[in-house]
Amino acid sequence: MQKAKTLIWVVVLMFCVSLASCTQGAEVPATEEPAAEEASGEPVTIEWWHISTAEDHKALWQEMADEFMADNPNVTINITVLENEAFKTKLTTVMQSGEPPDIFQSWGGGVMNEYAEAGLLQDITPALDADGGAWRETFSPGPLSVYAYQGKNYGVPWDMGMVGFWYNKQLFADAGIDAPPQTWAELLEDVQALKDSGVIPIALGEGDKWPGHYYWTYLATRIGGQDAFNAASSCSGSFTDEPFVEAGVKLQELIDLEPFQDGYLGATYGDEATLVGDGKAAMELMGQWAPAVEKDNSASGEGLGDNLGFFLFPAVEGGSGELTDAMGGGNGFGIGRDAPPEAIEFVKFLTSKENQIALAEINVGLPVVKGSEEGVSDPNLLMVQEARDKAVYFQLYYDQYLAPATGEVIKDAVQGLFASTLTPEDVAQQLQDSHVAESCQ
Amino acid sequence: MMRSIPRKDRGSSPGKFWRRLLQYFVLSVFLLFIVVPIVMVVFGALKSRGEYATSPYTIPDPPRWENFVRILQGESIWLMLLNSLVVMVTTVIGVVFFASLAAFVFSRVRFRGQTLLLNVALLGLMFPLSIAILPTYLVVRELGLIDSLWGLILAQIAFGLATSILILRGFFTAVPSELQDAAYIDGCSSFGFFWRILLPLARPALSAVAVLAMLGSWNGYFFPLVVLNSEKLYTLPLGTMQYVGQYGSEENMVMAFLFLTMIPALILYVFAERQIVSGLTAGALKG
Amino acid sequence: MSAISGHEDTVGLQRKRGLSRRNQDRLTIVLFLLPAFIFIFTFQIYPMIRSVYYSLYEWSGFGPLTDYVGLANFERLFTGREFWDAVWHTALIMIWSLALQLPLALLLALLVERDLPGRGFFRSIFFMPYVLSEVIIGQVWIKMFKPDPQFGFINAVLEWFGNLPVIPQIETQAWLADPKQALACAFVALTWQFFGLHMLLYIAGLQNVPRELEEAARIDGANELQTIWNITLPLLGNAIRTSVYLSLLGSVQVFGVIWVMARGGPIGATETMSTYMYRSAFLKFSLGYGSAVAVVILVISLILSTVYQRVVGQHDYIGGI
Repeated sequence: MQKAKTLIWVVVLMFCVSLASCTQGAEVPATEEPAAEEASGEPVTIEWWHISTAEDHKALWQEMADEFMADNPNVTINITVLENEAFKTKLTTVMQSGEPPDIFQSWGGGVMNEYAEAGLLQDITPALDADGGAWRETFSPGPLSVYAYQGKNYGVPWDMGMVGFWYNKQLFADAGIDAPPQTWAELLEDVQALKDSGVIPIALGEGDKWPGHYYWTYLATRIGGQDAFNAASSCSGSFTDEPFVEAGVKLQELIDLEPFQDGYLGATYGDEATLVGDGKAAMELMGQWAPAVEKDNSASGEGLGDNLGFFLFPAVEGGSGELTDAMGGGNGFGIGRDAPPEAIEFVKFLTSKENQIALAEINVGLPVVKGSEEGVSDPNLLMVQEARDKAVYFQLYYDQYLAPATGEVIKDAVQGLFASTLTPEDVAQQLQDSHVAESCQ
Repeated sequence: MMRSIPRKDRGSSPGKFWRRLLQYFVLSVFLLFIVVPIVMVVFGALKSRGEYATSPYTIPDPPRWENFVRILQGESIWLMLLNSLVVMVTTVIGVVFFASLAAFVFSRVRFRGQTLLLNVALLGLMFPLSIAILPTYLVVRELGLIDSLWGLILAQIAFGLATSILILRGFFTAVPSELQDAAYIDGCSSFGFFWRILLPLARPALSAVAVLAMLGSWNGYFFPLVVLNSEKLYTLPLGTMQYVGQYGSEENMVMAFLFLTMIPALILYVFAERQIVSGLTAGALKG
Repeated sequence: MSAISGHEDTVGLQRKRGLSRRNQDRLTIVLFLLPAFIFIFTFQIYPMIRSVYYSLYEWSGFGPLTDYVGLANFERLFTGREFWDAVWHTALIMIWSLALQLPLALLLALLVERDLPGRGFFRSIFFMPYVLSEVIIGQVWIKMFKPDPQFGFINAVLEWFGNLPVIPQIETQAWLADPKQALACAFVALTWQFFGLHMLLYIAGLQNVPRELEEAARIDGANELQTIWNITLPLLGNAIRTSVYLSLLGSVQVFGVIWVMARGGPIGATETMSTYMYRSAFLKFSLGYGSAVAVVILVISLILSTVYQRVVGQHDYIGGI
């Protein structure tokens, strides 16, 4: 009797263990299969990860996916919506395990290059060039090139804009400022005037690190221009060259005025947007998504409305960069190695003119497909779009453009400048050291 | 649980009164330290967005219960609750069963290499899931269990074993060996002794182990984050961070969500405080 | 593996039906240990070995392992400043835990355990945060420490006190935003989470201290402090040793709360060994280097644990290492 009972338990145990292995067989995702040459009628599942958590944006993506599925009954699209920080963690782990999703949020640049180099992404150049380059023709070439590495495209953009100052017209007027500043010196004067008028001149979420590194990068762009950056990034020059040190010195002039809210070193970008959206801070240096986030984050849910203005990053006296040079970036779709042809069809659908217009109409991005400009109606966004299109030298955010490790270093180093633990020379040196280690062989 | 029979008075009455007062004062200060953050969450949770923006620290007036309703009406929180429950229950069954089997051998049978094996089993104490996240993740992937609750459950069972074996072994060792001898004389097999005598005796220790495993599973965040992809498989902590990311600007709603996700753990605590306490102290205070 | 039952002297060797006692024990050992060890080997030992293996490579985590670099990752780790900063922050948390958190827990345990009416209530409340998830704890304390008094409760209280004439004014602080304070703020949250646990261990220990001994000491004229110092504390030995042990290991591995609250920042002020590992492996795309950090953390844990148990002569935790 006892032994029989023991035996039963052994069986139960073995069952438990084998249950695990059964699931193993059943759970192998369909995307494992190598991509077929042509879209077939076979059932296909597409994994799509995006970070558009805002309610209306998320709903719009879902609508588009539903529409595509309705037209292609064999296709199932699985959408995973992730919050930004969680997305980065998760994408890294799946990439390291060699199983990228078919379509995922990408900012292009160095991070994407790293994935591409490891063979984790699919070269979609043939799709872009098919039918005499019909799909390629629809994109503005600049934004498209952000998703190219060594002449091959591993993704396409759906939004591209630039960074600039978003300001509260009323607060500027109250401080006696008639027109937005044109030069760095004027900006510093205006900051002082705003401070004297009793408002927070600039909101900054430096706890997230990336918002602050815009200041340094833009200053370097204005001071050194395209030549200095190209020299440094191609390793023929150096990030310790004068323009990059000077960028830190200029930034320090601003920091010394103490223009930011209390505790900005630990604040998040969300805090930053809230301060501007609620009219407590007079400006922020941010990309094209700023009005949407300010609106979302304001207590009223309305943002500043007509009170919000936009001005370009001011020129730096004696700098060799042009006022038309732009620093910024956008959002795009990266394509995973094993994505089926249907996934590319779907991305084509997402970046169609109609869908780009729909996107622009809810003010969550600046479309990159020719002819979709008409969807943009907000006067500030129109300004950004115009400046973006006029830019001769367009610099992608350093933290995305450079190697991922270097991107982390530059953000950390600039934070050190804000916290006064590093000098402008230290920042330049740390950036250069990491760049040499990662990218100059 | 106060002792109702008054103890013999030591010292003078007024002295005792002042001492008591001081005791209560110190305790109350720390009570505030514990309670205030939670009260702030509750206050925030019951305010409208506007009220939270203007006066976040006052008693909500009027309390906005609709915040909770808004969250509870969504499908997702119920799905997360269900996922968390499924993962927790399965994990706990696995941990308790496998750990008690192993603890039995480690406490009641002696064999060569036992110390070595025990040390291997307890190595997990040194290597929590947060440190081992990547290699563990890779193994889960090799098993094809990514984006499956099983991947989460099996790994959590493995990482729950060390503590549980430790606690159960301590308890099993304390069971007098005469009992085992008697059982064997009565013709019990090892399993029979284990199943019919030891386990019923060890019920307090088992429930302690179970409750600890429950907490570990219920509160896990980073491992589920990397293993689970589909939103429909999300557990509560994952959903919480997702919610914070999505509604970060609506602090009142974030508070409401935080509060709602606290409730199951607090309920568990109210009902199982004794088990938690005995679990944490059992393995610890022997010897 | 030869099985020797501790009971074969007292029990007849041969049973009526089936296997001999000895064989049956052997079967028991194998069958009972097998499931647990399948789990432990699959999800713990094997991954650990893999970590060691990865740590010998320069590897971004993508693509095949090709760049074998020997111990270069460890060399970089030990010669770089960042890792030592992380070690220092970890050590600070450890020191603060031992110097502040545990004595505090002990004090409260002594206060609660003195036949105090309502002590069950206090004990329950003090222990409550322990059951909450790190995500919740981190989020709650982020809100407490917000620098703007409008949203951060602690600064709101300071401001309110500042408006009273009598009390010396304390300026509002940046808390998590100030590199000098951030780690201490995270420690406050950790204390909130854990001191109930330590208090609980002490209360359980106190239950085993015979009242009669303390009474006797008092009759002999010892005052309260002397009694505690000479009688109670020595008898609490086991509880204290255990709580110190948990505190040591917990500090080395502390991760979730700090990551949720500050992600190691600002300017690395809250970077501990585990956040540093996480950042290296997942944010800087250096999985090889990150694995090296993980291996070092594991070794430090093992050394701490072994040395500690040698020093206090307690072999309860890890069998006989």
